[in-house]
Amino acid sequence: MSLGVETRAFRVSPWLKRHETLLALILLIALVGLGAFNDRFLTIDNLLDQGRFISEIGLIALPMTFIIITGGIDLSVGAIVGLCAIMLGYSWKNFGFPLPLAIAFALAVGALAGFVNGLVITRVKVPPLIMTIATLALYRGLAEGISQARSVRGYPEWFYFLGQGSVFGVPTQLLVLIVLIVIAGIALDRTTFGRTLYAIGANETAARFSALPVDRVKLIVYTLSGLASGLAAWVLVSRVTTTRMDMGAGYELDVIAAVVLGGASIFGGSGTIWGTVIGLVMIQLLKNGLALTGVKGDATIVVIGVALILSVLIASSLERRRD
Amino acid sequence: MSATTIASPGYARRAAFRRLVGQEALLAVAIIGLAIVVGLINPRFLATRNLSDLLLGNAYIAIAAIGMSMVIISGNIDISVGALIGVLATISGSLAVAGAPIVIAWVVPILVGVAVMAAQGAIVAYLRIPSIVVTLGMLSILKGGLISVTGGKWITDLPQDFHLADLSLFGVPMPVIIMVLATVLAALWMRNSPSGRAIYATGGNPEAARLCGVNPQRTVLMVFALHGLFAGIASLVYATQLRVIQSTTPQGLELTIITAAVVGGVSILGGVGTVVGSTLAAILIAEITSALVFINVSPYWTDALRGALILATVIADILRRQRRAAQGWKR
Amino acid sequence: MSAALKTDPAPVRAVPLLEVREIEKTFPGVRALSGVSFDVRAGEVHALLGENGAGKSTLIKIVSGVYEPDAGSMLVDGTTVQFSAPDDARRAGVATIYQELLLFPELSVAENIFLGHAPQAGAGRIDWRAMRAKAQHLLDSLEIDDLVPDQIVGALTVGNRQRVEILRALSHDARILIMDEPTAALTESDVTRLFDVVRRLKRRGVGIVYISHRLDEIFAIADRVTVLRDGAYVGSRDVGDTNAAELVQMMVGRRIDNLFPKTTAPIGAPVLEARDLVRRPLTKGVSLTVRAGEIVGLAGLVGSGRSELAQTLFGMTPAESGEIRLNGEVVRIDSPGAARARGLAYVPEDRAAQGLVRRMSVLHNFSLAALGALSHAGFIDRASERRMAQEGVKRFSVKTSSVDEIAGRLSGGNQQKIVLGKWLANNPKLLILDEPTRGIDVGAKAEIHRLMSQLAGEGVAILMISSELPEVLGMSDRVLVMREGRLVGEFDRAQATSEAVGAAMMGETSSAGRAA
Repeated sequence: MSLGVETRAFRVSPWLKRHETLLALILLIALVGLGAFNDRFLTIDNLLDQGRFISEIGLIALPMTFIIITGGIDLSVGAIVGLCAIMLGYSWKNFGFPLPLAIAFALAVGALAGFVNGLVITRVKVPPLIMTIATLALYRGLAEGISQARSVRGYPEWFYFLGQGSVFGVPTQLLVLIVLIVIAGIALDRTTFGRTLYAIGANETAARFSALPVDRVKLIVYTLSGLASGLAAWVLVSRVTTTRMDMGAGYELDVIAAVVLGGASIFGGSGTIWGTVIGLVMIQLLKNGLALTGVKGDATIVVIGVALILSVLIASSLERRRD
Repeated sequence: MSATTIASPGYARRAAFRRLVGQEALLAVAIIGLAIVVGLINPRFLATRNLSDLLLGNAYIAIAAIGMSMVIISGNIDISVGALIGVLATISGSLAVAGAPIVIAWVVPILVGVAVMAAQGAIVAYLRIPSIVVTLGMLSILKGGLISVTGGKWITDLPQDFHLADLSLFGVPMPVIIMVLATVLAALWMRNSPSGRAIYATGGNPEAARLCGVNPQRTVLMVFALHGLFAGIASLVYATQLRVIQSTTPQGLELTIITAAVVGGVSILGGVGTVVGSTLAAILIAEITSALVFINVSPYWTDALRGALILATVIADILRRQRRAAQGWKR
Repeated sequence: MSAALKTDPAPVRAVPLLEVREIEKTFPGVRALSGVSFDVRAGEVHALLGENGAGKSTLIKIVSGVYEPDAGSMLVDGTTVQFSAPDDARRAGVATIYQELLLFPELSVAENIFLGHAPQAGAGRIDWRAMRAKAQHLLDSLEIDDLVPDQIVGALTVGNRQRVEILRALSHDARILIMDEPTAALTESDVTRLFDVVRRLKRRGVGIVYISHRLDEIFAIADRVTVLRDGAYVGSRDVGDTNAAELVQMMVGRRIDNLFPKTTAPIGAPVLEARDLVRRPLTKGVSLTVRAGEIVGLAGLVGSGRSELAQTLFGMTPAESGEIRLNGEVVRIDSPGAARARGLAYVPEDRAAQGLVRRMSVLHNFSLAALGALSHAGFIDRASERRMAQEGVKRFSVKTSSVDEIAGRLSGGNQQKIVLGKWLANNPKLLILDEPTRGIDVGAKAEIHRLMSQLAGEGVAILMISSELPEVLGMSDRVLVMREGRLVGEFDRAQATSEAVGAAMMGETSSAGRAA
């Protein structure tokens, strides 16, 4: 008998629209404000430059949006970036892999790392939070152990095109990110895969009873998360020209903050790629704007931490008021 | 459920005994066994100096793992504790160098630790924000805040009497005394006080806890405040054994502390565990790290080993629960 | 616990321990209780009988302070009381043993008994010795000799855990004990021991409200029985003055026949043939056949394994052994996806948890089970999706402002139509309906029944699980009865009377049914 069931229905899409509009508005105000403070801020060069820095976080934020929509989380992304960066450099330098093969190998390792997360989460039913904390430790440890904390440098010139080159003045990695944003956005909005993600997050049991391939889709999103982390590692190594085992440390914060700031509920069931993109841009502009107005680099992560907590607080209090 | 599984008193007592002492006994055996094996390979491992260094240098991890165990038992997680310990150590050192009375330099970080954790606990308990989000945010606030305030400057020239960790009582170094005392007191409190038991009830079955008159929200707040207390004590032990405080957050410290708590038998799904186990696990992890050096394995493999250890423990714990569920607990 | 050693029967007092008068309770869209009166005296076991949805659970939740009634009064020892929280009820001496036992698996027996009111030894310390002694005293008072206070509860059997809950109630000096289907998960020997405990409590003067579906238990343990139906009071009897036939009659009632517009459809070839399906713990070798155009009713009490069987057929919990044939072909169904591909559809029992994604729109719920058919290369054809949902809304007359409305905001009947509608979009060959009309209003009920007849007419094979006997009898061409994981009876439409089917459900030997 389930008579007194709570009626926790709320309008998802109008709220999201509101949230995204609100975010875009804040973004605009921040842009104008920062521009007024500093005349270097609102220049094309500066903005394109920021696009370069956004890409690694942005690549990972796309599958993270998928994961958070299903009600999961992946804390191991930063560690996978480190592991893949090491695999790229190490297999090239120590195994003597040709560089393209080393890149492919690093991407495969990333996908495998994500696949392992997904496999244990769906088969053994370890909660995603716990599983990815454990693999955060494991993957970072593997990067450290395999590399013996030695860095790799001296890549051939063509390798730097992805991280430092540009096409028609637009940073290469930003173009890659834009293409992937469009693909991810369409996948989430228009495909059965995307719809399944929302259904899992909103009511996993009902999704199973509707014959949706819940476990397969979860496995796919965690694998994608690993793959995207591998891609981010490639971009990162190409941008900074060296491979170090501590690469990507703390990325999980920026990525999760961008997704949550973009309106995805940490409890699952809602979120959009467009929201994530706005969240991402906001975080980067905040960082850059603060830096240009003289705030030191490390203080910006304080701002991100505050933004993360506040955005979840505001979202959940709005949600509760509607109930 | 057949008649054969109906517990006879003797069987039941043994089962209860196994559940309560199982993980602790296992850890104790592992600690001794590892010491013997590594000692056979390289006898220098068993040198008093090495063993005492091992305990001294890792006591703060065991102390912090006590609070972490409580947090996990209550069904939450905290990944900000490593950064917090770094911040508190810096506060402590700065006060001492600035000429504040030593007692102030010792006590203020503990109070700050309680305040920071209690604030997080309040957000988790009363505003119902998942602890991972709150503590992830706090991690970055503490980390960024620390570096931007201190500029990463090292704190040197600490006054001689600041070094609490250098003291000893009846030949036992202070960090070990504090570790043992904190573990024993916390274990007794968790076992013998109604509010200690409430932690288990909250983590095990919050709905039922409420029906039994336990207030899960107040319990979570209390747990975080206590976690702050232990983090404060841990930072004190940590800071006062350093000659130079680096005013950065120790890399990956939160993972070591979580590993100690989980490997010590705290179920990651909440509701089980003891702090004796977490302290033993902290010692075991320190022992493994040290042993690697003595058997000529690169210390860079330590973190991978720690990761594998936590992963194996978590999976074993979940499988054990599922087996029990299949035997009829959840029907 | 001064009464612990009292063994002579308590005198029946004139004033009941607990009395409720004319209780009313309405939930959004559902009238759960209307004008229900009920009382329990000291030293008496008063059974509360009724089908699912009859209002028993709501009544006990009101008595134990979980819900507040909309109208009516509640008296303890003749004094009016008002419970606004479970704590109030507990202080008044009312304790409830729910079906879902509220225990802490990791804590000991003694701790579970005394959680929240542990004996203290000053300075906020738990007095373990006193707690153990008190727990032992409670165990002794019920002559339970195979439990010890230090055992960890998680390692106990269901029956023993239940006794820990009873002890917890007694530790609060409960004088009124409510037991919600206490035997649902117990073995025979556990039931015997439970009854032993109940009789001891009776002798101590505890008043017991005993909820059960099983008539034999009621005759074994109860003194009086009250029957509820559709949230209304039907009647009370002394157990000595009634019999099973009368109680079944009171429970299932007689309703207007045209509520079930069953039309006869030509019955064709077998669509589903299952042989010896086994899936532990509750599907123990089931064989059944459902033919095209046929509606097969699956009756049985809660816990008899009906939904478990349905979920095994549908691939949620694939069979461990046995054989499933669809249209004569042996198939392997190991996931809901495989079931759907084979033309199966399953409308689950729990609409809110299993059937509907309440936070999604009507549109997205309608298409959820048919996304494959609605998409090309993984892309959803949004125009066809909308068209499909709009047609569905029209066909099933779902009352909603638009297809973009959030599904959770609709009434129960309209939600159910969406769950049904989303499966019909796949044109299933075999439709499994699990409690298709539970908790919905009469109008929506009739519409769903009309739809079932229509589908059967189109040649769909339908397997319908229902706890409402009139529905089973009214809608089915054939009735199967399930008990304890096995099919125990099969009745043709002509043979299927409420007495015969009811008796088979309750586990009484019946002359009308033949063993399946």
